[in-house]
Amino acid sequence: MRSDRLRLLLVGSVLVAVAGCATGEEWATWKSHPTHFASGEHMFFSVRNKEGAAPRVTRKDIALARDEGWWGKPITVSQEQILER
Amino acid sequence: MSVSRALLAALIVGLVFAGGAAAAPAEDRLLPVDQYTSDKARTLATTYREALRELNAGIYHCLPWVELQKHSIGFYKPKHLTSDDRYLSLRIYIEQDPSTEFARLRVEDRASAMFSRYVGPLLRRMTKDPAVIGDPALDGFTVILEWMKQAPTAPGERPIHETIAVFIEKPVARDYLAGVMPITEVAAKARVLGFDGETALGPLRLAVWEDTFVSTYKVANYVLEPGVTCG
Repeated sequence: MRSDRLRLLLVGSVLVAVAGCATGEEWATWKSHPTHFASGEHMFFSVRNKEGAAPRVTRKDIALARDEGWWGKPITVSQEQILER
Repeated sequence: MSVSRALLAALIVGLVFAGGAAAAPAEDRLLPVDQYTSDKARTLATTYREALRELNAGIYHCLPWVELQKHSIGFYKPKHLTSDDRYLSLRIYIEQDPSTEFARLRVEDRASAMFSRYVGPLLRRMTKDPAVIGDPALDGFTVILEWMKQAPTAPGERPIHETIAVFIEKPVARDYLAGVMPITEVAAKARVLGFDGETALGPLRLAVWEDTFVSTYKVANYVLEPGVTCG
């Protein structure tokens, strides 16, 4: 019973881990575009994307890449300097 | 249910929710109605809540390289105006990698390029519901465009953003949307304020042009969520 649970957790962990793997080809496609993200180190859309198939990028993939690829808190003008509520 | 099955069910539910959370735009991009400081603004925000939600969703799905921060959409009062003039306001961050060519341009030229690309298409999105621009309580439109001017060059440094705030009075927007005023004239009549990081640069004079980037640019391999269409 205990080993079954451990096996289940292991399978679950692997599922979570592979949910974040992208192929090099996918990143090459992504990064060749003039508008793209800060880092090529993110891994996020290979569960659906198989080797040899055309890669698909969903809005969810972009949101995840953005969350992971941020440059840090920017120095920028605050909304209050421009607008009032 | 056994402990193992319960664990598996929890894992699946977790994966489903983790996947679904980012597929829809965040509601907090709209300024909540109770945070406005005038009845005029609260009435506009209540009346056009659905139009603003659709604006938020349209940008989220159809311009995926653009980011909206918290409270980026609302019926704000431009700070430089004295009366309670309410402008439908939209602030976007345009995500693009730093470019040495772009960085070498004068700030007015970078601002002109961004204005040319985004102001016209965003005005059209902001007025998709014709009742918005037809409402006598609405006085104009604010489009705030922000992009990265300089990426960090050393550990611990922060990126610097450049921003322009474009204020367009309603009659000007109406003429542009009706096709009787070119975007060049909109730029001439609009008030455009520039910011380098947190530092105000004051009013900018821009030389803009008709630009089809927003209608022609596609993120490679991008697929819309089921049921979403981009006109």
